[in-house]
Amino acid sequence: MQPSAEAIETKRDASSTQTTARDIYLPPERKQVSGGGETHVSAKNFSIYYGDFEAVKKVNADILSKYVTAIIGPSGCGKSTFLRAINRMNDLIPNCHTTGALMFDGEDVYGRFTDEVLLRKKIGMVFQKPNPFPKSIFDNIAYGPRLHGIRDRKTLEGIVEKSLRKAALWDEVSDRLDKNALGLSGGQQQRLCVARTLAVEPEILLLDEPTSALDPKATAKIEDLIQELRGSYTIMIVTHNMQQASRVSDYTMFFYEGVLVEHAPTAQLFTKPKDQMTEDYITGRFS
Amino acid sequence: MNGEDSVATGRSSAFVVTAKKRKIQQITRKIGESALFLVAATVAIIVIFIFFFVARDAVPFFEIRGFREFFTSSDWYPADDPPRFGAWAIIYGSLMVTAGSALIAVPMGIAAAICLSDVIPFSVRQYVKPVIEMLAAIPSVAFGFFALVILAPLLQNYGGPILMWTWWIIASPFLLLAVIVLSELVSMSIQDDKHRKIAQRMYVSFFGLIALILLFFVGNNLQKIEIMTGTNALNVSIILSFMALPTIVSVSEDALQAVGRDLREGSYALGATRAETIIKIILPAASSGILAAVILGIMRSLGETMVVWMASGNASHIPDPWFNYLESVRTLTATIAGDMGEADQVTGSARFHVLFAMGLLLLVISFISNFISERIVVRQRKILSGQ
Amino acid sequence: MNLGTRKLLDQSFTALGIGSIVIMGMMLLVVLVPILTNGISANVFKGTIEHRRMQYNEFHRGDRDALQREISEAAATRKTAYDMMSTFEAELNQMDEVKQAEYRDKYNQVKDAVKSLLGPKPGDELPELTRFRYGQTRWEKAQERLREVLYEKKWDYSNPDIAAKEYLVSRAESFQGTSLVKLFPYVETNIDRMLLPKWTIYWGFIFDSSIDSHIFGGIWPEIQGTMFLAIGAMLFAFPLGVIAAIYFTEYAREGFFNSLLRSANSTLAGVPSIVFGLFGLAFFINTLKVSESKSVIAGSLTLAIMILPTIIRSAEEAILAVPKTYREASLGLGSTKWNTIVTVILPAALPGILTGGVISLGRAAGETAPIIFTAAVSVGSAIGLADVFNSPTPALSWNIYNLASEHEAASEIRHVQYGMVLALVTIVLLLNLTAIILRARISKKLKG
Repeated sequence: MQPSAEAIETKRDASSTQTTARDIYLPPERKQVSGGGETHVSAKNFSIYYGDFEAVKKVNADILSKYVTAIIGPSGCGKSTFLRAINRMNDLIPNCHTTGALMFDGEDVYGRFTDEVLLRKKIGMVFQKPNPFPKSIFDNIAYGPRLHGIRDRKTLEGIVEKSLRKAALWDEVSDRLDKNALGLSGGQQQRLCVARTLAVEPEILLLDEPTSALDPKATAKIEDLIQELRGSYTIMIVTHNMQQASRVSDYTMFFYEGVLVEHAPTAQLFTKPKDQMTEDYITGRFS
Repeated sequence: MNGEDSVATGRSSAFVVTAKKRKIQQITRKIGESALFLVAATVAIIVIFIFFFVARDAVPFFEIRGFREFFTSSDWYPADDPPRFGAWAIIYGSLMVTAGSALIAVPMGIAAAICLSDVIPFSVRQYVKPVIEMLAAIPSVAFGFFALVILAPLLQNYGGPILMWTWWIIASPFLLLAVIVLSELVSMSIQDDKHRKIAQRMYVSFFGLIALILLFFVGNNLQKIEIMTGTNALNVSIILSFMALPTIVSVSEDALQAVGRDLREGSYALGATRAETIIKIILPAASSGILAAVILGIMRSLGETMVVWMASGNASHIPDPWFNYLESVRTLTATIAGDMGEADQVTGSARFHVLFAMGLLLLVISFISNFISERIVVRQRKILSGQ
Repeated sequence: MNLGTRKLLDQSFTALGIGSIVIMGMMLLVVLVPILTNGISANVFKGTIEHRRMQYNEFHRGDRDALQREISEAAATRKTAYDMMSTFEAELNQMDEVKQAEYRDKYNQVKDAVKSLLGPKPGDELPELTRFRYGQTRWEKAQERLREVLYEKKWDYSNPDIAAKEYLVSRAESFQGTSLVKLFPYVETNIDRMLLPKWTIYWGFIFDSSIDSHIFGGIWPEIQGTMFLAIGAMLFAFPLGVIAAIYFTEYAREGFFNSLLRSANSTLAGVPSIVFGLFGLAFFINTLKVSESKSVIAGSLTLAIMILPTIIRSAEEAILAVPKTYREASLGLGSTKWNTIVTVILPAALPGILTGGVISLGRAAGETAPIIFTAAVSVGSAIGLADVFNSPTPALSWNIYNLASEHEAASEIRHVQYGMVLALVTIVLLLNLTAIILRARISKKLKG
């Protein structure tokens, strides 16, 4: 399963002009990104266990840099587990261990000499529920840079502004940086979390159902933001919303019961899935 | 190693560090964690030390005097020559005031806990909880002072009337309820509606008469009672019950809350009243948690020092008859507190060590009851989570 | 059963619960109200000229000239009474032996009563104890004494079945026919001119050191001792408890050892407070010898192990209440575990941890049993900070017991005891109120 970068350019073919259930999933056309398309994260026979239970089974996949990859599948299929394994957030769960290899930039994420703290700096994550710290907006963004040793106020101010601008939040909050972040709306909080993650300059952005707690308007803003960031960061987004996957992603991975069933360019996966299971899922036979 | 390469080449994905650095990281982490563990373990060390040091000073007493006298004799004359160390009356006094306080606090505490968790709306609860917390916060010496200076003279001077009015206030609603329910139960077998109503009325007047006679008779007898001393087991039991109440209420309330809404809704849906739901469904489900609460509350009474020292009268004898709460008693805690002043100059004497023996007894009782209540709570949690 | 009865039972059940809660609330009032009213009257009361005299002589408070005027004013009224007494004394000496024997005893009682009411007669030798150098300093006490001047207390033992009953005999009647008979109505009518009562606010009750074992109040050494002991206990227990709570919540893995530690914690919470006292005596003083004998440090250490379980539990709860998402967010940004705890979790849990700390502080301040053998003495002056390692201290809780149960004039100084109880209860309840408010603010914050 090695989708090529060119495959994204797949145009709607003749068959899709018919009105079928999956028409709503047709992805918009989008530009090719420059300088991307290399293998950034690659899983080889990668399994994740909770105790004896194999939550993710022998996944083989390459995630291409600077593109957006969506992970879909019914609840409990292991999609979140897989995402959280990439920056080792699963370490927090007792009894969780992995087999196989997960490579990031050609190094094993679960290798003996991996410093998970440095790793997480490279691979940022945004969670399901907006989770700003109960601190000021400024301190929220500056938290990461401060951790990594930046103390100078001027530098921090620069980072904060840059991150907030990237997250399309600057105009809304620039006049109240010293206010408590919990006073922002849900959508703003989530964009703040994105900005906070960007402030440590990661290479990969993991989004774990980032819009599931948001209203449609805020969701649209987050999706726009993902489009903005596409091309600058490798983005992986877990979503239970198939329209969203088709709207924002270039590639889609479909998980079912821990198995990576299909991994293909989004347009292809939603229009001509190779696997019957994928077909059944995206047409709503099960969920 | 790969890691060294990546550091050397300065690649952007420098999350892999050298073996040495990783090792240092792991060792610092281990050291930090062990340091935290050591601090946490001081708790266990303290418990062991408490047992060890109390036992160390208690053992010499049993070596000198043996067990028999301590647990069976009631002659407590530690200052005589030869001294006598019969502590049975003192142990009995402890048990007596503890039982007395439990008698008052357990029904009240459970009723209040039920009320808090199932009856009172949340807005009112916000104001009730601080009241309970404040009751728990009042220092024991303040309660003791209240018992000694206010309650004891009241009991001594107006003992009879106080007992009578308490009886009247508590018993009349219960008797009234009993009369109504009893006559209803007795007349239930009569099929005919009209007859049943007539029979019911007759039963009500019949039982009502009996209840009234009972009320007056007991009340009258209570009024005649003269309390010789206000510093007695009754006084202490009342005060101790109010000190144990907050514990019982808050722990039972937690147990009741843990039962969850599903069971309650299931019962209401079948047409049960609130009381029926609580008594038949919720109390059984929460029973072990409530039992744990009762044990903890009782321990609070048993271990309390100041109130009993100030207001129990400190008379080392078994009341006559044995359930006479209007006589002075003496408890283990009060004996330890009171006799140490005379004993500690002569370290090494049986008189000093006997107090540690009493302390050890208290410690062992508290350890056992704590263990039991903890087991009970664990078991309830398991049952409720369906394991 | 029919529906009506079931409903009735249901309602009575509710009534039982509400009744219990109401009784608890009433008990709180019944305990607190007398403590409050009587405790305040230790500070605010109708003070007599004797009180002002005592204040001037012992503490140099008050205006000398005004006091002098008042004293001479009172002395003028008193002189008539003293004159009546010396007239009677002369008369007594003239009497025959039978009559002398009859009156001598009774007269001495009157003389003592007057002395206790007004203080020693001018010109008499000043007594050794300060308490005998002044008459009644408080108006309500003066009136009690007046009754003793006017009436003789007797006990009626006629009915052996019930306790003896007290009854009063007018002294004026017993001295019928002598010159002393005029004294009683004179004292009764002129008592306020002899003592010049005036509403007084006596802050010295709280801030003075006691003179002559608390007869006149002065509880600062006790308040200070209580604060030293409680704060000392916190200094040991708070850091220890918070660190232990961090270990339990963040690092401990489920297992035998961990559950053992938790059991140890709840065992410690259940140990009777007097046993802590025994342990403190046996371990800190007799074994470790942290001090020669009782000392503040030994008491603080003992109190510290008593409040440790409470602090651990509340800190644990507060840490567990911090949303898991904060942890994830911080770790996701490349923070180490320890860094996350220090910069994110502890700040978020701080109000909760402080709540537990404040409640424990109150508990340490209120406990008596652990400090009986380790730190408390009944009389003493306020100790300096340097003395905490080797000298014991008076403390409110212990001195309340001591004054109420062991003081030689316990029933005479109820107002002092009430004042002390009020001080202690105020300290403890204020701390608890702080905790309640803190907690209310946390729950508001969590709601957003």
